[in-house]
Amino acid sequence: MRAPSVVRLGPRSAAVLGLASLAGLMMFVWPLLVRVEPQSMQHGPDAPFVFIGILPILIIVVLAELSEGGMDSKALAMLGVLSAVNAALRPLGAGTAGIETVFFMLVLSGRVFGAGFGFVLGCTSLFASALLTAGVGPWLPFQMMASAWIGMGAGLLPRRVRGKAEIAMLVGYGIVVAYLFGFMMNLWFWPFITDAEVPYHDGHISYVPGDPVLENLHRFAVFTLLTSTAGWDTGRAITNTIAILVLGPAVLATLRRASRRASFGAVATFDQDLRATALK
Amino acid sequence: MARYFLPRDLHPAAWWVWALGLSVAATRTTNPWLLLMIVAVAGYVVVARRTDAPWAMAFRMYLYLGAVIVCVRVFFRLVFGGAEGSTIILRLPEIPLPAWAAGIRLLGDVSAESLLGGLYDGLRLATMVICLGAANALANPKRLLKAMPPALYEVGTAVIVALSVFPQLAESVLRVRRARKLRGGASGKRVAALHAIIIPVLEDALSRSLQLAASMDSRGYGRAGLVEARARLLTGALMIVGLIGVCVGVYATLDGSTPRFLAAPVLSSGVLVALAGFRLAGRRVRRTRYRPDRWHLPELVVAASGIGVAAVMFVTSTVNPMNLNPSLITLSWPALSWSPLLGVLLGVIPAVLTPLPASPHVPAEKVAA
Repeated sequence: MRAPSVVRLGPRSAAVLGLASLAGLMMFVWPLLVRVEPQSMQHGPDAPFVFIGILPILIIVVLAELSEGGMDSKALAMLGVLSAVNAALRPLGAGTAGIETVFFMLVLSGRVFGAGFGFVLGCTSLFASALLTAGVGPWLPFQMMASAWIGMGAGLLPRRVRGKAEIAMLVGYGIVVAYLFGFMMNLWFWPFITDAEVPYHDGHISYVPGDPVLENLHRFAVFTLLTSTAGWDTGRAITNTIAILVLGPAVLATLRRASRRASFGAVATFDQDLRATALK
Repeated sequence: MARYFLPRDLHPAAWWVWALGLSVAATRTTNPWLLLMIVAVAGYVVVARRTDAPWAMAFRMYLYLGAVIVCVRVFFRLVFGGAEGSTIILRLPEIPLPAWAAGIRLLGDVSAESLLGGLYDGLRLATMVICLGAANALANPKRLLKAMPPALYEVGTAVIVALSVFPQLAESVLRVRRARKLRGGASGKRVAALHAIIIPVLEDALSRSLQLAASMDSRGYGRAGLVEARARLLTGALMIVGLIGVCVGVYATLDGSTPRFLAAPVLSSGVLVALAGFRLAGRRVRRTRYRPDRWHLPELVVAASGIGVAAVMFVTSTVNPMNLNPSLITLSWPALSWSPLLGVLLGVIPAVLTPLPASPHVPAEKVAA
């Protein structure tokens, strides 16, 4: 079966998406990239605040490009409804640390509707959820970007795989993504939660601007291992695994049926000759 | 004057500008009195001007979150070695860690300076978060969606659909559960029960989306406009060039060894070019707005008070930074000077000089007053 092109990813959209992802990735991993030259007018400590301003711009540019040809109203409605489902799933796990229910649906929808749709769905889901739970803040663009990548990645997995192998593949992807998401969000936030401005001494877990990448990465790995890997990330991975194993096959079938019924990409045309014969 | 105070909802962006002004002001200081003052100002305005809407209730959550942030910050200092400084107040047994742990030590001596540093920093971050919470509580998110730029018309529509479908999901869950009960005997294992609820709800939602699409089609929503090939080419070129600029600029900002002209200038011009492409992409969307949101005098007052707080803090931090960042080397009570205090008090203006909210969620006692 051909993949339905719900949100088309032409070469131009792909280029915009790729560039924005590259810049976005740099904004996530900035603590590892900073290299301070001794006497330069360095933007070291300002950089994260600048990025907080720029990341939303990147996201809106990509979204504008993805919807540039005009989106099908069926795709719009599907996007809205699935975002609502995701936004409803998200607070289900809130109270309990680590039970994060938003990603499995994102993975499954990205798988069925393709990479472009997955990207947009990741953005709209988190945005709608933030509006509903009053969670708008500087963290929102980072969450949106990370979950957009998760949805997009699910759409880029090999198409041919079906049946049990498909579920196994999605479970594996869900686990990888759970840990990566935790890693990325921690990495972005790390310099803020520990402090980056006091003078350092040996044996601290904070971020040291300008240290060699490996040393910072080492410290960060210990930080994330101590604080979140055991609890949140593993909890997220387990939630993803169970949800995809238990609900995956049925949800995939439901989404595929909906996608076939919607017949995305089919354009209603007006056939003059046929009309003439029908009127006779 | 009476017209000025006629109850109505202010433009959500005005509240956001006000709150961002407060939180920018908070970044300039670690003085706990000033930070608590900012929190108090934000809290007072929220209490005076919030509605009964669900999002307005979130402010309390943000206060809890702020408390958690402060505790985490201090706790980190306690656990991961806080021995900078001379006044050791707590001697805990140090837990040795293996060599792979990058020389991190657990517990050990704790100094008052280090705990205080954690407290001040945590308080600053918590204040910034609480200010954002104030904006979330005061600004109506649905009206914020109305101000979406035209290039995001489609995505904005999808989010609006999501927000309006959301309550229907709960209703759908109730319906499915009632049907299950009526059928009887379906009280099987929990996994099966999950299946029997989630799949019908999803199916229901998806078929609803198709109906919605049909009705949107018949009303002319989501219709693709015709764009000239040349205009599209220009839009794409602007976006791609702008994003390349952003990539180069971000990298150069982070890497101090690249030439400086590649950093801020390239980054900002890249952002500008990409935004130009974004504007151009929005030109193809021709929509009229039903009752557009306008800025009136109260909105300007709110925004100006937020900007005023930030401006006073910036001026104070360049002119007389002494009391903004209390010393952590010699321990003493943080002192407070007049100018930043009065500056922060500017933020309380919206609690008095704005009209009361008029959405359907206004609490009864405010209407009577």
